[in-house]
Amino acid sequence: MNGLQNLDRTILLCRDYVPDGVTNYRICERLQTRQTLCIADRRNISTHAGQTALVTLVSLLSRMGMQVALDIPEVNLVSAQPPLQGSSLGAALVGANEAFVASATINTRTDFRPDIIFALGDTPIEDYRAPCWRLTGDEWSGRIEMDGLGEPPAWTAEFPMGSMASAALAATEAFKAALRGLPLRSLACQPFLRESRSASWDFGLSSIPMAGFDLGEVDFVSAGAISQAALYALVRIPKIQIRARIFEHDVTEASNLNRNMLTLREDIGHAKVRVVARRCPELIAGTIPARYGNGDVELEKLAPRVVVGVDDIPSRWQVQRRQPAWLVVGGTSHFNVSSSIHSLGEACSGCLHPIDEPGPNVIPTVSFVSFWAGLITATRLLMEATGKPHSLRKQHLWLSPLRMDLPRAAMWSPVPPRRDCPVKCLASRSLTETDPIAA
Amino acid sequence: MNVTIEKKFRTEVVYNGVEKPIQVEAEERVTALIQRAIAAFGVTQQPHLLSLFRQDGTVVNENQSVEQAGLKPHEVLLLRPNAVKGGSERLKVAGEVLPATFRMLQECGQGQCECVVYWTGSTSSGEVDGVEHPEHTRSPFGYEVRSQWLTDFWKRLASSRRSVRAQVHTHPDEPFHSSSDDRWPIVSQAGFISIVLPNFALGRPTLHNAWVGVILRDGRWRQLESASEVLVMP
Repeated sequence: MNGLQNLDRTILLCRDYVPDGVTNYRICERLQTRQTLCIADRRNISTHAGQTALVTLVSLLSRMGMQVALDIPEVNLVSAQPPLQGSSLGAALVGANEAFVASATINTRTDFRPDIIFALGDTPIEDYRAPCWRLTGDEWSGRIEMDGLGEPPAWTAEFPMGSMASAALAATEAFKAALRGLPLRSLACQPFLRESRSASWDFGLSSIPMAGFDLGEVDFVSAGAISQAALYALVRIPKIQIRARIFEHDVTEASNLNRNMLTLREDIGHAKVRVVARRCPELIAGTIPARYGNGDVELEKLAPRVVVGVDDIPSRWQVQRRQPAWLVVGGTSHFNVSSSIHSLGEACSGCLHPIDEPGPNVIPTVSFVSFWAGLITATRLLMEATGKPHSLRKQHLWLSPLRMDLPRAAMWSPVPPRRDCPVKCLASRSLTETDPIAA
Repeated sequence: MNVTIEKKFRTEVVYNGVEKPIQVEAEERVTALIQRAIAAFGVTQQPHLLSLFRQDGTVVNENQSVEQAGLKPHEVLLLRPNAVKGGSERLKVAGEVLPATFRMLQECGQGQCECVVYWTGSTSSGEVDGVEHPEHTRSPFGYEVRSQWLTDFWKRLASSRRSVRAQVHTHPDEPFHSSSDDRWPIVSQAGFISIVLPNFALGRPTLHNAWVGVILRDGRWRQLESASEVLVMP
């Protein structure tokens, strides 16, 4: 089946809930036959945030193999929306037809019966007899709500962080709806895939100014899904200043397309650092096409702020041992996101992840989970740059995007130092000296 | 002051954002609580990686009883992996390796005897580009590699800076990992791959019907859903 290779990791993740007796082909077919309709009127897509919500939603749906139809008026792009090209919103999106994932079409045909509808803000919709979620929000918060539940506001914001959160919330509903049509392993799986009639995410940063972000020098270790999602978010921040370097030795494979937000099918076989640099040149000051830790020690001296987007645990330890002043680590594990921040002297990423479990190296992933990991990473970076980082109480976030309507979807916690920290960080060493019974 | 410890109480366990009450008894092991939570949430993928975490971020000690671990009634516990599993690269298998493997196994086994080969690659790359066919005895039910050949092989690998990345052997009928396969792999390191081919590897060179497994950190073998979890085939 066309696209099976591109959706390899997503299908693997579906196995958490879909039994082995259901073939990969059938899961792929189920995803690829989902007809989604995205509707927006002129008012709701005239702002940068509204446009970002739509572009992000279409990308996340398409990277799951779904078919996307657009019912939108022709409007010019307020700002660039990489990796899309073009000056008008509709043309840029339709130009990405089958560009994210093979067989995932994006068109403007509306003469079909959609399985699911997404409407931006207060856009009026016809009676399509399909479940419809509305995407709303403001600068720092995003929300979805089933049509008819409330009085949705229009998109009026320019600042786009909230709009990307609403897109991620919406894409999750499309995914769950697709899986509900397949046999499940057990009744115990059902709560995870139940629809969220309304869900929201608030970064809680309304007091932070929304202009003039200067992140300075930032090193990204990896140009994979999480780094790409973070850069996807950052490149949409108006007038952002950043001098980013990226370490990555890998080339783009077909199986990366399901989650690498700056990557298109045409990039397969190309170095990931080159792909990222091409899609957001204004952010990237340097690319190092090598694995971090294997090359020039001088070159590998880290910037004051470091983003680690690799899931590989020993690689995280290696970066942490170089003692960057501030480190944010983003990772995914099945349907969960792990995000942590570590300043010098605090419990480090080795304290949080002290064990490496060798095993199968193909990691199950899906677009919206990886995107959340990048979005949270970008937010942590913005907060650090403005001198308002999360408190130690929120050093670690365990996020479960499947059910963002539930109160325990986001579990914040401190990172306790461990005596057996593999990095032997300062916090863990102090612990050994003062508290002999600590973990 | 007398402290009354409830012997039977419930904790609130959270998995994937969903919260469920799980009953515990003060004397039972934390591992029993974890197993009950895993069953309640229907977790099937890598349940051995899961631990319980308190809201202060500390992990609940699995070697203790519920009481020793200090768990309290209605305490909220997060069930999540203890190590967020890494995403290092898969082994890339060069184009000639699989056909050469089948050719050697077929020629040596003649459709009647088990046989084995080792996949090798440079220690500095993630690629398999060599196939070694050892000197061995053989029968329809097993094989045994000659120890002198093994000694020479290790020396040769060391001098050429190569290593064994996977072993591939045949079975007469169904592919599976026997107890001797579990106990005697050529390499016992975590991450080492073993592949078992059915029907003495007669037929087309493909891993579709193969048993593919990997050694975990605790020394156990884990069967994989498919070879593509650890290998990139040409």
